Amino acid sequence: MAKDMTLWWGSGSPPCWRVLIALEEKNLQGYNQKLLSFEKGEHKSKEVMDVNPRGQLPAFKFGDIVINESYGACFFLESKFKSQGTKLIPDCAGSDNNCALIALIMQRVFEGNTLHQKMVDVFMYNRRVPENERHESAFKRLKETLTTELQMWEGHLKKTPGGFLAGENFSMADVIVFPSVALLLRMGLSEDKYPKLAEYYKKLQGRPSVKATWPPTWKETPGQELLKDI
Amino acid sequence: MAKAMTLLWGAGSPPCWRVMIALEEKNLQGYNQKLLSFDKMEHKSKEVLDINPRGQLPTFKHGNTIVNDSYAVCFYLESQFKSQGNKLIPDSQEEQALMYQRMFEGLTFYDKLNAVIYYDWFVPEGERHESALNRNKEALTTELKLWEGYLQKLGSGSHVAGPSFTLADVVIFPTVAYLFRFGLSAKRYPKLGEYYNLLKDRPSVKASWPPHWLENPEGQDTLKDI
Repeated sequence: MAKDMTLWWGSGSPPCWRVLIALEEKNLQGYNQKLLSFEKGEHKSKEVMDVNPRGQLPAFKFGDIVINESYGACFFLESKFKSQGTKLIPDCAGSDNNCALIALIMQRVFEGNTLHQKMVDVFMYNRRVPENERHESAFKRLKETLTTELQMWEGHLKKTPGGFLAGENFSMADVIVFPSVALLLRMGLSEDKYPKLAEYYKKLQGRPSVKATWPPTWKETPGQELLKDI
Repeated sequence: MAKAMTLLWGAGSPPCWRVMIALEEKNLQGYNQKLLSFDKMEHKSKEVLDINPRGQLPTFKHGNTIVNDSYAVCFYLESQFKSQGNKLIPDSQEEQALMYQRMFEGLTFYDKLNAVIYYDWFVPEGERHESALNRNKEALTTELKLWEGYLQKLGSGSHVAGPSFTLADVVIFPTVAYLFRFGLSAKRYPKLGEYYNLLKDRPSVKASWPPHWLENPEGQDTLKDI
């Protein structure tokens, strides 16, 4: 099964990391993979464009199936390999508890997209916005928005004593959101200001699927300080 | 079941429409609902904030379960009510994979639409630039051509992820409907036009059609030159 899969990815990219974690959690080690460099523009290479016309990573192939959206790949893997590895989304067969748990998992999974977007809005501001369109007021607002968002996640984590985003068990919510949290800390987020996020980060750092897929470039270089004042 | 559900929603919101289509498809008519006004800032009212601290719509409650993200609600409803109404996630591996791919591309599609039609809503006056709006329009044009291509490959009469109506249609049709409401040219985008015509009379879509569109059949022409 894994041998029929190929993943094109970039180191440190949360969307790529989500798929890497999902593959590990579903016991799909042994997939073919190619590590590419965003800096060198390899995500726009012919090899990637042939699989993903958007020229983005991750790009994922499974036989003739192509899924280039990280959420899509994660959901597909969970659905197809439901009975192996970690169950990332419980079944809900008339069981109220599991249905409510699915609701919470899904809520956090999709809030994860908001978290990721707000983070990217801040650290990609200068790369995305041409110089003549930048405003101190806009950048300030983006930072405030990120701060509010992070405080919300501190609140979420305070309310789930199990330590994972949806309670006591690792779920799809953690697959999706952990990589963004890791990137926040990599970019200098203050552990003092966000103790619950720091605790969550440290707890998941030790998980086998996370250790096995830790961004190789992060092992070689120190992080940044961009978010230390957030 | 539906009687234990409450949906707070707003006019002009594709995410709200997604939830309403999903509820209809799963035969959950009869849910409690309240139409709120974005212009009057009712999405930031206590009523909403008590359920959804983000102060956003849709806001959805089912008994004690709260789910406020439109995609999350759709997945939740399909999980909990799998065996009633229409099946929204196909069994076939290939169809499912394409559904997931298109659903999540749908998020990008929606963002690019918003960046044009709601530019002034999202960007304070002092920060607006013609160059930025132009760039957003170009990005939307590129995105639209991608979707024309997707529909072209699937052939006439197809839904957005294949032969069956799926969650991908639930989340993407509202975006497409908004494109045409805001003046997109069906001549320039015939496949999208065909898709719009295919679904606009689907019962779940008709039942949840934005009421202010019924009152004012004519939309805007913001996108006529896209």
